Amino acid sequence: MIIRECMKQNVVSIRETSTIREGAAVFVKEHVGLLPIVDENTKLIGVIGLRDLLALELPDFVNFVLDVDFVHDFGAVETSRPPASMLDQSIETLAKPAITVHEDSGLLRAYALMLQHDLHDIPVVSEDGKLVGVASRVDIGTTILSAWIRSE
Amino acid sequence: MLISAIPSTLIFVISLILIFSEKIHRSIVGIAGAVFMVGLGKILGFYSEEAALEAIDFNTLGLLLGMMVLVAMLEPTGFFQYIAVWAARVSKGKPVRLFVLLGSITTVLSMFLDNVTTVVLIAPVTILICEILGMSPLPFLIAEALLSNTGGVATLVGDPPNVLIGSAAGFSFNDFLIHSLPIVAVAWIATLILLRFLFRDELSKDPANAQAVMSLDPGESLDDPKTARGVLIILGIAILLFFVHHIFHISPSFIATSAAAAALIWVQPDIKKTFERVEWTVLIFFAALFVMVGGLEAAGVLDAIVGLLEGLSSIPPLWFGVSLIWIVAVLSAIVDNIPITIALIPVIQGLGAAGMDITPLWWALAFGAGFGGNGTIIGSTANIIVATLSEKTRTPITSSIWNRRGLPVMLVTCAIASVLYVVLYRFF
Repeated sequence: MIIRECMKQNVVSIRETSTIREGAAVFVKEHVGLLPIVDENTKLIGVIGLRDLLALELPDFVNFVLDVDFVHDFGAVETSRPPASMLDQSIETLAKPAITVHEDSGLLRAYALMLQHDLHDIPVVSEDGKLVGVASRVDIGTTILSAWIRSE
Repeated sequence: MLISAIPSTLIFVISLILIFSEKIHRSIVGIAGAVFMVGLGKILGFYSEEAALEAIDFNTLGLLLGMMVLVAMLEPTGFFQYIAVWAARVSKGKPVRLFVLLGSITTVLSMFLDNVTTVVLIAPVTILICEILGMSPLPFLIAEALLSNTGGVATLVGDPPNVLIGSAAGFSFNDFLIHSLPIVAVAWIATLILLRFLFRDELSKDPANAQAVMSLDPGESLDDPKTARGVLIILGIAILLFFVHHIFHISPSFIATSAAAAALIWVQPDIKKTFERVEWTVLIFFAALFVMVGGLEAAGVLDAIVGLLEGLSSIPPLWFGVSLIWIVAVLSAIVDNIPITIALIPVIQGLGAAGMDITPLWWALAFGAGFGGNGTIIGSTANIIVATLSEKTRTPITSSIWNRRGLPVMLVTCAIASVLYVVLYRFF
């Protein structure tokens, strides 16, 4: 089985010209965890994750301590908001290079890449680098498991 | 004579330039320089492998290694986190109180532990506490770096230049307590007052959420109390032994390595992980610099320098010392103070050979190297670490911020050291 057969083909993506605020609105409306960023020819140029936006509110300092279980109240951190000037910046300032799979890729190869890079969704691209779909861990995992059930 | 002196000087100077330029890691430069020096010495016949090994001051390396192993064991226990959380609770979220407490804790810890380690362990919790309070961590981070540099000057084991100076001059742990600690105590209080003034705007704002610090649980922040207790007991015994080491004729290096051995036997940590936290690059760098300076000595370069400096012995030693504080301080503000110290040690020894009373000069070197690092954002590793960490917060520390807060501290502490140096000169 290849990834094209289990990916979502109806992909929500945003243009590289969007602002961070516009990107956030798409996350809220579509209830997704990852947004591919594409140019005018739907060529994939990067991704932005929900996590990358949330990092504006909860910066990296949490990772500086071994564990945060001794902090029972995050105090001012809970109510901090990123400054408006930040939200009007281009989404590209937060974009990450995309880790992609080709639409003909096998499922376990795609799953291995996701495990290794700690991804929950992976963009699927065609031969010429155009975005053709997104597969989540659940999409891939349940497709793999469905083969067990059929073989019974 | 000249045929060995010129190329060996060239190797040393090129190595120093590469180290100061920070284009290549200093330990790599050190290893290459040391190998070149020994190779050249073997070809020209002024230096040998045996002589190079003898040039390495194992007293310095052993003391550093022993302390590093102890800290490496203490690090994952959460002990430093525990102290910072305790300070936050005691301060009840009042900025000035928290500032003084965290600053003082950093000073005291730096007296016995490496400055870099102290800052690496205290700064992250500081950022967390400040974010919870809704305050900028910037004043706290700058204060911690400055005060750890300052505190480190107080004792033999406080920072690497002191370890080097103590070993070269034969100073005991108590010598440092008598000569250096009082000056550091004054400098510490002056630094706190000065920083309190420089950060008066930031520290006068009430934190957005002072109550949240009371939710920090010190008990939970101490992840491994059993290990922490064991290592702290042994560290305490080691510090007590430092006080009396000269009476029993045991070296600080032997005390530190014995303490490390005892703690390893007691706690039996995952030795691979513990040793990964030991800063081998620092130890290698030291060894390499010793080999290079040994080569210079063998090539007769240092004798030549002493010859040049003999003219200087007519300068009153008091003024010589004060100038040394400032020259070393300015150099240490711009570049790493460890190579400066290692390069100046033989020069001072040479002045001694030329008939000058050099005991006060050692202290001048220690004050200059220690307080000078406060001057710029790249003046000490502790400064670089807090600046790097602050990039992950909303208020990154920039070079110009440092020049307005750190540079005054360097000038004031060096001025205090100079004044007290003059006043107390006959005790040095």
